[in-house]
Amino acid sequence: MKQIIAIIRDERVEETKTALEKMGVRGVTFLYVTGRGDQKGTVSSRELGGVLNRNFRMPLTSPECTHQSPGSSQGTPRDPFSSEKEFAFGFLPKRMLIIIAYDDDVGPIVQAMVNVNQSGRHGDGRIFICPMISAIRVSTGEQGDKALS
Amino acid sequence: MKMIWAVIRPESAHRVITALDSAGIGGMTRLHVTGHGREMGITLGSVHYTEIPKEMLMLVVPDNEVAKVVTVIRAEAKTGADNTHQEGTIGDGKIFVTYVEDSFAIRTAGKTGGTSKI
Repeated sequence: MKQIIAIIRDERVEETKTALEKMGVRGVTFLYVTGRGDQKGTVSSRELGGVLNRNFRMPLTSPECTHQSPGSSQGTPRDPFSSEKEFAFGFLPKRMLIIIAYDDDVGPIVQAMVNVNQSGRHGDGRIFICPMISAIRVSTGEQGDKALS
Repeated sequence: MKMIWAVIRPESAHRVITALDSAGIGGMTRLHVTGHGREMGITLGSVHYTEIPKEMLMLVVPDNEVAKVVTVIRAEAKTGADNTHQEGTIGDGKIFVTYVEDSFAIRTAGKTGGTSKI
C-alpha cells in the first residue's frame, strides 16, 4: 500500500479527476495548499494575469503592485510581486491530492497524472510516493487491503 | 529522500521560511491547519479552544539535508528565537520526518515516468 501525494496546478484538477475516475481510482483527498518550487513562486508576465484572476488564497493586492518600486510598497505586507525581496514569498495556490493505492496501481496512477498535468512549464508540480502501513475503513472496521477495495 | 511535515505557529512562518530560504531550501508547500497537542488546547476565561490555528510546512529533501532543515525550523519556530532571554513554550509546534520512496517532477517526467532529483 502506498500513499501518493501529488501537488498540481489548480486549473488541472478537473481533468485530473476525470483521468483518475477513468482508471477506477475512487478515493482521493483534495487539499487547498500554497507552495513554491526552486523558482520561489515567480510567475512569468505571460502567466501573471491567469494567476491573479484565479481565486487566490494568498495575500495579493492588485496587479498594479507589480509595477511599483520596492520602496513604494513598504506598507503592503507580503505582496509577492511588489519587490525583489518579496518574491521569495511567492507562494502560489496549488492543489494537493492524496491517494492511497495498491503497490501495483502506483505506476499507472502516476503516469495518468503526469499525462494530464504536464505542460512543460515550471510549476507543473510534483508527485511523491510514500509507504503506507495500513488503512482502516471507519464504517466497517475492515483493515489493510480490504479497506481500499 | 525524506518528507518533512512541520507544524508551526502562524506567527513564526514568515521567519522560518526566510531562514529556510537563506539555507538554500527553495521548494515547499504550505497548509493552513488547526489542531491541539497533549495540553488539549487552551482555556481563555470561560472559553476552551481545541482547534488552534497552525501553519504546516511540507518539504521533501535529500537525506543529507534533513538535519539542516530540522535545525533551521527548530531554531526559528521556537518562541523567543529573536530574544535570547526566552526559551521555547508550549504550542511552538512539532516536526515530523517520514520516508519518500520515489518522486516525480511532472514538468520533466518522461512518458514512462521516472525518478527525479529533488
